[in-house]
Order: sequence, then structure tokens, then C-alpha cells
Amino acid sequence: MYSGVIRFYSLADLRKYLKDLLERYQRDFDRSSNVIGSLLRTEGQKGMEVIMSKGWAKVGGLFVNIQEPEKGSMEVVFQLVTEMKPRLAKTEEVLKTFESVEQLPVPDEASFLLYLRGGVPERLVVDTTEPKPVPFAMKGKFALGP
Amino acid sequence: MVEVAVLLEKVDGSRLSDKVTENSPSNYNLNVSLSEKTRSTDALVLSFQLELSAPQNTAKMTVAGTATVKGTKEEIQASITAPDDSHPPQVLLTIYEKVYGLLYLVATGLKVPPPLPNLLKKSG
Repeated sequence: MYSGVIRFYSLADLRKYLKDLLERYQRDFDRSSNVIGSLLRTEGQKGMEVIMSKGWAKVGGLFVNIQEPEKGSMEVVFQLVTEMKPRLAKTEEVLKTFESVEQLPVPDEASFLLYLRGGVPERLVVDTTEPKPVPFAMKGKFALGP
Repeated sequence: MVEVAVLLEKVDGSRLSDKVTENSPSNYNLNVSLSEKTRSTDALVLSFQLELSAPQNTAKMTVAGTATVKGTKEEIQASITAPDDSHPPQVLLTIYEKVYGLLYLVATGLKVPPPLPNLLKKSG
């Protein structure tokens, strides 16, 4: 997941980014959860046994599974779902409480540096040192050619 | 490397004369409007509208939507900067390239001349 800093030139743009990010996380989470859910339903009461594979072997710096590819894949998807949960919850919380950020007394010329760690929005710097770019707009008539 | 993703929100085409055919000369005027919707360091979202109209008011086609330009801050800036006053910025060339296939199909369906594929200089 992405770690890094993104600059936004308005809080509205930042809010939209967070909303899109949350929607993407929710979509990924739902998709992966459905895979796990449908397997557990198919396999009845066996529970976690159908997900946890014993076929892993350490090869170099990686764990490799040749013996049980289906179980191995399921285990990986399950791990992904487990990791997605806190990311989704934290992003949801940030968006839900974003109004409090919007109420801060922010100078008009400010831009906003969002620090994401492992895909989770974690810190926001209100920066008044970099000038905002002039919003782009153009109108014109053009000729078409072969 | 700049990536431009185009999402269409409106496609409109009208055949305005019975005399026009697919083989009539293709001499559309293209009116362009681009404006910034949102911007961050790695993405710029533009609203666009391209309106093609034939000089004798025989046909008209309009496509509108959003174009998301992704790249570094410098790459994004370069893509919206025209090389000179008479030439279009790269982002406009890319948008036209991406919607051209659709415009061609609309023109074929309306039995009006298809537009030409390359966007040239400003005409006024």
C-alpha cells in the first residue's frame, strides 16, 4: 500500500480524494471477503482449517507454497482481508471527522500535504509557503486535419 | 510518464440537413472548452467539452466529460501547457485521440462525414 506525501490545493479536493480512497478500500474489502465467505459456506463447518495451509516452505526470502495452491491462495486472501480491516476503519474515521479539519482557521493561500502510511491517511500539514497554481482553463477553436 | 484517463458524461449528435452524406467534405470546426475541477500533486482532473459543427450547419456532435491526468507535478504542468499560442496543449491532443473513435462511430450512424483524426492549429 502506498506510503508517501500528496499535496492538495483545497480541502474540497482532499475530501474528494479521501472519499474515493475509502470507496476503493471498501470495494477491495468486499470482493476479498466474498471470496472467503463463499469458501467457508461451501466447506460447511470446517472453519479455519480450509483457509490455513500447511504447505508453506521458506525458499530464500519468500514463503512458497507448491503443495496446496488453493489453500495457499485462500490463506493469502484471508491475510489481505485482515490487513484491510484497520486500513478501512481508519480511513472511514478520518473521513467521518473531516469536518473538524474543515473548520480550522486556514489561510486562503494554504495548500495541504497529506501523509499516508501504508495507505492510511495519518498526518496533514497546512502549508502556506508554496504558492497555489492558477486553476487551468482554456477555450478555443481548432481546425481538424487528415 | 503522464497517463490520461477519459470518462465521458455526454455524447450528442445531430444530423441537421437531408443533403449531407458520409461522402460530403469533412470540414468541421472544433470548439474546445477545458477547465480544472480538482488538483493534487499527482493528479489533475479536467472537465472538457468538444463541440464539432459543420460550417453549413449540416451536422453537429458534442462530447463532454472528465479527463484525469496522472503524473508528476512537472509532467502535469507540461501536459496542459501549449507549445505556443496557436497549438493545442498535449492533454487536448490526447483527449481528442481518445474520443475520436466514438465521434467516428456517431458520424457513421448519422450518415454525416466523419471528422478528421488530427487536431491542428487554432482557427480563431
